[in-house]
Amino acid sequence: MSDYEVVIIGAGNGGLTAAVTLARAGRRVLLLERHNVPGGCATSFVRGRFEFEVALHQLSGMGTADRPGPLRAILSEMGITERLEFVEMRNLYRVLFPGSYDITLQADRQLVIAELKARFPREAEAVGRFFELLYAFSQQMIQGLFFRDPQISRDKYPLYFTYALRNTQDVLDEFFEDPLLKAILGIYWSYVGVPPSALPFGEYAIMLFAYIEFKPYHIRGGSQALSNALIDEYLLHGGQVRFNCGAGRIVLEGGRVQGVITEDGESIRCENVISNASTLTTYLELIEPGQVPSEALKQYRSATIGPSAVTLYTGLDCDPAALGIRETTNFIATTLNMDEAFARWKTMEPQGVGLLTCYDVDDPGFSPPGTCQVAIVCLQYADPWYAIPPHRYAEAKYRYAQGLLDLAEKAFPGFKDHIEELEVATPLTHLRYLGHPGGAIYGFDQYAKDSALFQDHRSGIGGLYHTGSWVGSGGFQPTLTSGRQAARAVLKSLKAQQGG
Amino acid sequence: MAFKDVMQDIEGYRDIAGDIAVLKRYGMDHTCERGRVAQLIGLYHPASIALVVSELIEETASTRTIRLVPREGYLPPFQAGQYINVAVEVQGVRTSRPYSISSSPGQRDFYDITVRRTAEGFVSRYLLDELTVGEALTSSAPAGTFHHNPLFHGDDLVFLAGGSGITPFMSMIREATDRNLPRRLHLIYGCDSPDDVIFRPELAERSRRHPQFSWDLVVSSPPPGYAGRTGFITAALLREVLGDLGGRMFYLCGPEAMYAFCGRELAALKVPRKRLRVEMYGPPKDVTQQPGWPREVPAGAVFQVSVRGRGTVAAQAAEPLMIALERAGITVPALCRSGECSLCRTRLLSGRVYQPEGVRLRRSDRTSGYIHACMAYPLEDLEILL
Repeated sequence: MSDYEVVIIGAGNGGLTAAVTLARAGRRVLLLERHNVPGGCATSFVRGRFEFEVALHQLSGMGTADRPGPLRAILSEMGITERLEFVEMRNLYRVLFPGSYDITLQADRQLVIAELKARFPREAEAVGRFFELLYAFSQQMIQGLFFRDPQISRDKYPLYFTYALRNTQDVLDEFFEDPLLKAILGIYWSYVGVPPSALPFGEYAIMLFAYIEFKPYHIRGGSQALSNALIDEYLLHGGQVRFNCGAGRIVLEGGRVQGVITEDGESIRCENVISNASTLTTYLELIEPGQVPSEALKQYRSATIGPSAVTLYTGLDCDPAALGIRETTNFIATTLNMDEAFARWKTMEPQGVGLLTCYDVDDPGFSPPGTCQVAIVCLQYADPWYAIPPHRYAEAKYRYAQGLLDLAEKAFPGFKDHIEELEVATPLTHLRYLGHPGGAIYGFDQYAKDSALFQDHRSGIGGLYHTGSWVGSGGFQPTLTSGRQAARAVLKSLKAQQGG
Repeated sequence: MAFKDVMQDIEGYRDIAGDIAVLKRYGMDHTCERGRVAQLIGLYHPASIALVVSELIEETASTRTIRLVPREGYLPPFQAGQYINVAVEVQGVRTSRPYSISSSPGQRDFYDITVRRTAEGFVSRYLLDELTVGEALTSSAPAGTFHHNPLFHGDDLVFLAGGSGITPFMSMIREATDRNLPRRLHLIYGCDSPDDVIFRPELAERSRRHPQFSWDLVVSSPPPGYAGRTGFITAALLREVLGDLGGRMFYLCGPEAMYAFCGRELAALKVPRKRLRVEMYGPPKDVTQQPGWPREVPAGAVFQVSVRGRGTVAAQAAEPLMIALERAGITVPALCRSGECSLCRTRLLSGRVYQPEGVRLRRSDRTSGYIHACMAYPLEDLEILL
């Protein structure tokens, strides 16, 4: 007799939606979380009078209550949409090349097109054609791929079959001359982690399409409010949770899951485990080396550990308007060469592109009156940090952070004079809190070869399931979705066992 | 054709599939990552540090420095001003207290903590009267945000210390002077009597040898005939000693009463909030005097706290919940013990608690019923989930 039907390791986005899905289905579930707070990346911390959002910048896939996007549908199914307040962002993003260029794109198809045509009149016709392609392509991707059309074929979905795996830079080059226009249209690359020259057009197009159609969102109270709501819902349905309790081992017998041993040495019997730890952690640390099937690690040989991030969590003693911050999402760039900007992610050199998010623009109550908080982010790989001796870490951290602060100052002069709180997170910070190799925030690098078209992330071990950014792409919508998928796979198998 | 086979018609698919086949043979062998995350975390933030008392240094009649060396060779780095939470067992109770590291981060052979006797000090009495050289102790890794941040603090620093609040500053002063960092430091040190001044000879020596560091001593209860500055750290004194306040960063660490007092004086000088860093100081001496404490609940009232799955514990209204739990043998993860760090975040299933203003709860934690057990005071019977 097992103690639980399912043990979930880790209360990140994926672990939490898996937990809620299973608890709502009436299953006996135990959720183990090493940390004392649920959420993984979806969390916050308090410094002075500010509560800093750790990870959420633009929640995708929400849509409106009348026209829900895929994520809103999932969150409704979890029963938590009533408990949360979602704040729609007015605009997609602003791109600033300090001292030389400044443009804001609204989250509306016609307005984006109009703005780009007005600003790049010589390419007006190409702008129109590009968005025709972006929309037609995305619709084919949704119908053919996401809805799994059984009649899918190259003839039926010609745009999808032509463009899905091409790199984004190629497609931008095909349509446009002006490198500035291409940089502006492709700037989300710095947020998703793969430069335009390697980012599959399919991933790029569906993201831009979805942000325009379903709008970017923010959650009132930040992503911790989402994590807390998921835990509440889970407990409401009888789920058990242990905080400050990491998993030590997944016990296998005859290639099947038999239980979990906690870090404190307690044995818990169960036949199903959903691991929200990284897949590498699961196979390298949680399973006895001799018991790991050789195929399990082999499947990751073609993958590389993805980027982590450096974030400056900044509390300012002024309103955003006082500094000219009028958009929530701002990309600040000093180069048009995105490959070079990407190459710097593997070094300690100053950043070529940074993301500056000010939550108070669209959610004025987010910070105390007369203040606002700004997160300045640049993705970066952990590798250069490994080479820094621990006693030089603080110095290196401040030096590297200075580059991002200088970017903010260039874009919004006077920024530095208003800092009341400032905390820096580096790849090593993410490594510590997430426990992921490389402190990776999105799992493996997401090149075309790493997409779901080529990779099957089902485990080869009976009763073991994975969720989180390491089995798909990173970010809130994908990880929240992956937890529900893992739970559904478990439910299916439990039903099959109990039915037969 | 199966869905997967059709997908092979996507332009470029076969090339990528070919690349993958090669990479599966010659790509990354991730087994080299085994143990690496734990090893890295161990270098910076081990879950705990096993320490041995190597030396006890009497600083004043009421204060001693406890020099701690690692039992296993490595002390993680820290930023001057940070603290360690020292775990102890006193009279059969397992508890802990945070102490600022007073030694310089420039050397990591040892961490010094400097402890003053306090009237009600359950742990300080043990550390001062019972601890011996060679004894083993366990601590957290260094933590805390009361340290210089070059990104916005500037290099003109004013330290306002009261009593044993000198300890984080001592680390900062030692580091800056030893390394000749490009920073100007001025310490204003308030003590009850000249006998209470900790580190006096060293402060005098460092200020003599290092032009970037200067200090003033202010004694509040001077003996007859005392010739130095007397009184408290007032606006007038700050103005007189410091001159121009522009561009300076103030740091404040001392006993509870000093925060309200110096806060008012700095406000009178129009020092903006962003130019003041405040170290936390633990639970208030008398929580019933805090704003918003419900008058109808007497300090001595005793309530039953049911800890799901662990039994029931008696807890006094005017005592932090964490203390009551520890006395009953239930150890809650703890670090700052001042309401800040949230390591003791605990779910309150039923009942009301009082949490002083300084407790740094997340907004959604407040609405979802989480408390910081180190600074939560029961106002009725409670049920909690650990």
